Amino acid sequence: MSQTEEPAEPDEEPPAEAPATGVDYDALEDLLGDDVVRRETHTNAEGFVVRADRVQSALSALKDTCGFDHLSNVSAQEYADRFESIYHLKKYDDPTEEVSVVVPTPRDDPVSQSAEPVFRTADWHEREAYDLVGVQYDDHPDLRRILLPETWQGHPLGRDYNQDKPQIVEFEENVNPLASDHRDEDTMLINIGPHHPATHGVLHLEAVLDGETVEHVEPDIGYLHRCEEQMAQSGTYRHQIMPYPDRWDYGSAGILNEWAYARVAEDLNDIEVPEYAQVMRTMSAELCRIAAHLLALGTFCLDIYGDFTAIFMYAMRDREVVQNILEDLTGQRMMFNYLRLGGVVWDVPEPREEFFETVREFLAELPSRMEEYHDLITENELFQIRTVGTGVLEPETAKQYGVTGPVARASGIDYDLRRDDPYGYYENLDWDVITDDGKDNYSRLLVRMREVEQSARIIEQCVDLLEDWDEDDRTIQANVPRTLNPERDKEAYRAVEGAKGELGIYVRSDGTDKPARFKIRSPCFSNLQALPEMAEGEYVPDLVATLGSLDIILGEVDR
Amino acid sequence: MIGLLKSMATTMKHALDGKTFTVEYPEEAPDVSPRFRGIHKFSQERCIWCRQCEKVCPNDTIQIVTDDKRQGEQYNLHVAQCVYCRLCEEVCPVDAILLTENFEFTGDTKHDLVYNKEQLGNVPWYKDIDPLAAREPDRGAWVGEGDGEVDYQ
Amino acid sequence: MATAPVALAEWLGYAAAPLWLELLLDVVVAGIIVTVMLLTSALAGPWAKRKITAMFTDRIAINRVGPFGLGYIVADSVRLLSKELIIPDGADRPAYDVAPAVLPLSALLGFAVVPMGSGLQLADPEIGLAYVFAVSSMASVGMVVGGYASGSKYSLLGSMRSVAESIAYEIPLVVTAASVVLLAGSLRLSDIVAAQQGTLVSLGPIAIPAWYGFLNPFAMALFAVAALAEVGRNPFDLGEAGTELVGGYITEYSGVYFVLFFLGEFLHIFLSGAIVATLFLGGPLGPGPAWLGVVWFGAKIWAFFLFTQWCRSAVPRIRIDQMLQIGWKGLLVLSFANLILTAIIVGVIA
Repeated sequence: MSQTEEPAEPDEEPPAEAPATGVDYDALEDLLGDDVVRRETHTNAEGFVVRADRVQSALSALKDTCGFDHLSNVSAQEYADRFESIYHLKKYDDPTEEVSVVVPTPRDDPVSQSAEPVFRTADWHEREAYDLVGVQYDDHPDLRRILLPETWQGHPLGRDYNQDKPQIVEFEENVNPLASDHRDEDTMLINIGPHHPATHGVLHLEAVLDGETVEHVEPDIGYLHRCEEQMAQSGTYRHQIMPYPDRWDYGSAGILNEWAYARVAEDLNDIEVPEYAQVMRTMSAELCRIAAHLLALGTFCLDIYGDFTAIFMYAMRDREVVQNILEDLTGQRMMFNYLRLGGVVWDVPEPREEFFETVREFLAELPSRMEEYHDLITENELFQIRTVGTGVLEPETAKQYGVTGPVARASGIDYDLRRDDPYGYYENLDWDVITDDGKDNYSRLLVRMREVEQSARIIEQCVDLLEDWDEDDRTIQANVPRTLNPERDKEAYRAVEGAKGELGIYVRSDGTDKPARFKIRSPCFSNLQALPEMAEGEYVPDLVATLGSLDIILGEVDR
Repeated sequence: MIGLLKSMATTMKHALDGKTFTVEYPEEAPDVSPRFRGIHKFSQERCIWCRQCEKVCPNDTIQIVTDDKRQGEQYNLHVAQCVYCRLCEEVCPVDAILLTENFEFTGDTKHDLVYNKEQLGNVPWYKDIDPLAAREPDRGAWVGEGDGEVDYQ
Repeated sequence: MATAPVALAEWLGYAAAPLWLELLLDVVVAGIIVTVMLLTSALAGPWAKRKITAMFTDRIAINRVGPFGLGYIVADSVRLLSKELIIPDGADRPAYDVAPAVLPLSALLGFAVVPMGSGLQLADPEIGLAYVFAVSSMASVGMVVGGYASGSKYSLLGSMRSVAESIAYEIPLVVTAASVVLLAGSLRLSDIVAAQQGTLVSLGPIAIPAWYGFLNPFAMALFAVAALAEVGRNPFDLGEAGTELVGGYITEYSGVYFVLFFLGEFLHIFLSGAIVATLFLGGPLGPGPAWLGVVWFGAKIWAFFLFTQWCRSAVPRIRIDQMLQIGWKGLLVLSFANLILTAIIVGVIA
């Protein structure tokens, strides 16, 4: 589980040449044969334009023969003359090896073959593409709207959508939750949420119960859909998009989200970030990760212990310290808006010694606080009988669903973008990726708690570096022009390790200062899709505990 | 059994040590950091009506009305819609709009929370802290000096 | 020990009280007991629960309204009683309306025979202990009827869980109490209390009283756990599992009905505390003069309440199948073992 000795992959290649990621694209082209119509070059990988009826054969060839087992993202967009779905493939073993499969479809008949038989994660991604953009997928098991209500007219991110005409969806038009539901004599449908104390936000779970056992559960999302992608598409790269990523994963992981956007926009615009700023970014991002994991821990225990648990408040107390540090650094406690393209916005606050002192104090107290959590939670026998062996997620199933983050690492999948696809200052620091083979709720909790300790290690090393950094060399922002107009038709997909997993953004530019397409690959979206695999066959309390251990933030699921 | 008893002992220890981490607001108003982003304050004397703040605002919160001679007439800021991102302060070349540390403002209706330039000018400082002075040591930090090359757009 | 109405009649000069006086004094004493218990619950519910939870969670809780926040009791009562009564369409009306009353009623009926010290006891039948268990187990009827009659799936799940829990833990409860009856030799509660007078052993300056809790702490622990399950407190609060079933059997109740359920739950906690105190902690016995009995009794039931709040902050909720396993396989076996052991010891010694 230690950092592998990989040579740093150069990822600032000029876009005209193929990115040197070690993938032999010519061999892939030969393998795919006549599925491929032509090749495209994106900033992060080569793309193969594939015929709309050959999607499954191309994808399964790439997956089974070449080992691209991670369908990272499915971006759909509408051009003036066609629709396009892009399948971004990576490998779990080496996420720098990427390939994109581009599937164009004509505007009057936007039907392409679904990728769901090959990758289970495409199920929800394609539903979202259908919902928001309007592409239709053949062979999809259940192509209906996912984020918007069933009765919505039109596809908001398509070109024909009238954005000025409001649509009001009446409650009566939706499925009546009070109507009798006689699906089966032996089972009972119960609607958990969207108003529910334990669904971590407005999530609706349609659970079909046989007694207390969950026979079937289906998450119904979209209650927090704000069309963040559209908001990003109407903001300029340089300044206006940056406040929004804070609001995707709002569970204190703001800087991690901002970094996803900063990474892709800097790649698109060829901006290089100074080293000092990278250290600042790393330190603040890891502080956010600690806060997010503490929140996850607190709410998980709230679900299991009931409403009066002390553990939730202790987690909040510890999180307050982190939020105070972040407030000193960025000015806000949750919606930081701290990163800018090319660096960060503030240096360490003056006097520097005081700030470093505060951070060091926090880090010194952290081990005893984590000890306390171990006393309260992980060593509690009743907690163990509740969480050990429940919510089991097999690694193969997890890979099929595109699960990333602590959930995947707790099933034994050794996937962490900070180490495997390095950015920031992570590769120059000494830290470990935490994995666990337990696959159950208990191991997810343990992974998060140990990741907090690893984040503390990273922060300590960053603080040491910042203290000794040469005074003349403290550039916090590269010199970036006030307006940025990247080249036309430049596309990039970049991901970072957010608090919940792989947070990726696909951006296509059209020569203006605003993105033409901004697609957010949310880790919680893919993680939540795996909930039925984990919860079916177990009891209702286990369902609630599993949902808690997945640690979803609806702001990120629904965007 | 032992783990359970240890958990119970831990919470009892917290109960008996009498420490609290909550404060009794408003008797004990917290100290916020100098960089805290609260409500805006506008200085009509400094403003040059360049409209940079209006242009950069992510959700069109600032509305500026000038007459045909580019003299400023109105400066309206929808305080309830604002996301407090501080981009307006960042791009303003003359420090005409600032985010003070004051978070203690209320309104009864939506209309109460749209401030015109008089109201924005009268916003009090929080605990009399002038944000410019508080942020002085590091304000210029994000404005780079450049490489000396002129970069025309 | 004379019960309060008899004692009052004697004090008034009647050696053998006529029926009307007896009834009148019954009513008066019952009123005093009910008022005391209701006031205790009212104090415990809005105020003490929050203060104690705040202590465990490092917070300052209610302290704004009135001295120490005691004004919240009034504010909360007014608020709860003035809330709108929202009754679902599918509710089975007569059952839905009666169910909330059953819970506090069963607890208050139980308090009638508990000796609270200073002579405050309404009646002292020979089968006192059996009466208390019989009457307090009526609460499960209230819970299941309330949950089922609400016409909501959450309530149904909650009520099914509650009734399974109540039935499962009733037997260990009663069997453990039976072991105490073996020790005391009588079902009459005042006899049980009287049997706990005196000192068990003197360790230097500290004289450990002959309470059954010290004589057989294992039985007290068993009884406390079973009592937690009967009442529905962590780790056994599945009937009302807030984070799983929104409110369990209480989900569809609002306004006055909610107050009744709430009150009933607290009264049951205090009743369980009273039984624990009577069986294992000597009831109103304590140092000092006899008329201080009420104070000691009050302290003991509040200690039990504190114990349940402590469990709430630190003990997770277990699942229904685990709870049934613990009840039917764990506690049942242990309580029978305890009973047999006690029987052997009593048989050998006496």
